[in-house]
Amino acid sequence: MISPELSTLLTLCLYGAASLAGISGMMLRSVVLRKTGCWLAGFGFLVQTLMLALGFHSTLPEGLSLGAYLQMLAWFVLLCGLISRLRYRQEATLILSAPLALILFIMSAPYLAAVVKIPPQLSAPFYTLHIGALFLSLGLLTLAFAAGCIFLFLEGRIKNKQAMKGFWQDMPALSLLDRINAFAVMTTFPLYTLGIVAGLVWAKPVFGATFNGDPKEVISLVVWLLLAALFHNRLTRGWRGRKPARLAVIIFGLCLFSIIVVNTFMETHHAFIRG
Amino acid sequence: MNCDLVLVGLNHRTAGVDVRERFALVNHCSADSWAVPCEGAISEAMILSTCNRVELLAAGHGDMAEQMLTDWAHTCKAPVEDLRPYVYIYKGAEAVRHLFTVASSLDSMVLGEPQILGQLKTAYRKAAACHTTGLILNRLLHKAFSVAKRVRTETAVASSAVSISYAAVELAKRIFGDMPSHRAMLLGAGEMAELAATHLLQAGIAEILVANRTLARGQELARQFNGRAIAFESIAAHLVDVDIIIASTGSPEPVIRARDIRSVLKARKNRPMFFIDIAVPRDIDPDVNGLDNVYLYDIDDLKEVVEENLASRRDEAQKAAEIVNEEVGHFEQWVQGLDMQPTIVDIIQRGEHMAEEELARTLKRLGPVSDEVREALDVMAKALVRKMNHDPIIFLKEGTGSHEGSASRISLMRRIFNLDSGTCSRATPREKG
Repeated sequence: MISPELSTLLTLCLYGAASLAGISGMMLRSVVLRKTGCWLAGFGFLVQTLMLALGFHSTLPEGLSLGAYLQMLAWFVLLCGLISRLRYRQEATLILSAPLALILFIMSAPYLAAVVKIPPQLSAPFYTLHIGALFLSLGLLTLAFAAGCIFLFLEGRIKNKQAMKGFWQDMPALSLLDRINAFAVMTTFPLYTLGIVAGLVWAKPVFGATFNGDPKEVISLVVWLLLAALFHNRLTRGWRGRKPARLAVIIFGLCLFSIIVVNTFMETHHAFIRG
Repeated sequence: MNCDLVLVGLNHRTAGVDVRERFALVNHCSADSWAVPCEGAISEAMILSTCNRVELLAAGHGDMAEQMLTDWAHTCKAPVEDLRPYVYIYKGAEAVRHLFTVASSLDSMVLGEPQILGQLKTAYRKAAACHTTGLILNRLLHKAFSVAKRVRTETAVASSAVSISYAAVELAKRIFGDMPSHRAMLLGAGEMAELAATHLLQAGIAEILVANRTLARGQELARQFNGRAIAFESIAAHLVDVDIIIASTGSPEPVIRARDIRSVLKARKNRPMFFIDIAVPRDIDPDVNGLDNVYLYDIDDLKEVVEENLASRRDEAQKAAEIVNEEVGHFEQWVQGLDMQPTIVDIIQRGEHMAEEELARTLKRLGPVSDEVREALDVMAKALVRKMNHDPIIFLKEGTGSHEGSASRISLMRRIFNLDSGTCSRATPREKG
């Protein structure tokens, strides 16, 4: 009989096997291993979807834990990796999504038990919109980060006339990586804005003010401003290549800091662990 | 290897182009004019004649090498002594190894080039059409094709570009991915630039613009590439529309400078540009490479890429040689298995013959019996013989690992079963005496 523990273990194993097969396939330049990695990541995603559908994330929506949050983020990361595979016929981003999802899954383990009960007023539709939109935008931002990282490394090698040996030979073309980055940024910004606006609207009745100067709110605002700059420059000034790739990596880094450090170790009403 | 297999040939390493021209057999490997007749010692033959090598492969018994050399020299109307100093001769397993090495393009002038396999396939097709191939060469050539495929799939011996023009196009693919949505411009009309343009066309580039100081020459080139000729003075205006620029003019000063490209990039909304500068002195200001979304490779950069690719092919050739060795072993085993076939057939026939004799004798003693009993006795006798022969046949087949093991086992089994006494219906002529 399938249980939350079994399905979690199965998902973890599938993401682990997908990472191993995919990364080995890239290193050894084996098409079979790369394809196996993609299929395993797909199966892992299906199992985790099943977990969500069966309500095995018992901490959501009644309560919130960093563990459940990270697992949900892993699901969105994989979802975006799959979108990239289907939309751009590109294995590299899906292969890189698998180890990211695996890391998020492993990181989630110690925090699954620490559940914060959410007061009834926090389960309003705005709260769901706030969380849903931000999760999807974080998944897309991960895609922008993966495409941006590969772009920066590959572009550096081409600019500096370094040899394209081993797995570099199987990397996507720079133009394609830039297109993936553009797609991710163009979809992330409206979603992130929606998530932030929903959060601000919802904060007024709950916390008494739209903006409370909370560390999470401050860092989210910084992320939003950077995203807005990226979105604007891509659309109006024709930013391409290195600049948007670098900025996407920085924004993703800030988001990770926000999730891991701010939510866990700082005094904020977004904290996962409360005494 | 018991089968007599001989390969006689010359190639770019053993003979200069004048010798290769003199002894080429391009026009002597068809049904009308076949250079190596299947007569005397030769029972099967094939000819591979390309610009870099002429090789004759034959299967049969006796001194085939001498017969092949004589036939070859005779076809080319030259004394055999003129041919002999340039020729290499491989026999048995070495001939197989050489053929596999050639098929895998490990013996080619440009390591890993793909043409040789096609040429070998054509040569085999011609020989098969002339009915000069049989069991051994058919099997050998099919094996050579599969070895070549294995080498291509399991090693990277043919994976990277080893010509400057092709390396440039490979780099363009790394930047732009799909070629059909991009356009290229040729500045000047050097030979290497033309080659690069040909590769770009093969990769499916949308359009090629040609800018030459002499417009007529530019128009001629444009026709060649189904492109469009433009005036040399209008280069700057067209830079906004092209993504790949191949420069090979004779200009002593740079034709394109970094400051010109800044405004072009703005107009292009930063769409990437790839400059391939094959000219010496250089046509494109090296500072161009410092701009975002602009990539510049000059002739030295491309040479370096080709050198690195060649070095990586040489590394991969070691792996390929191991595959070839392994496959030579498999082919040897198959040939040795062929040597065993007559002995296995003799053992089976001897058993069946004995079973029939004993069955006739028993039935005679028993007197009239029903058909069921007769059939049951027949089945039992034959099953008994089959089971008794099973282990000796397995013992024989286990000897295919080495020539010595195989020959001694064949000899031993023929003596144990007394297969050469003349009482058996069939004996192998090779094993007699």
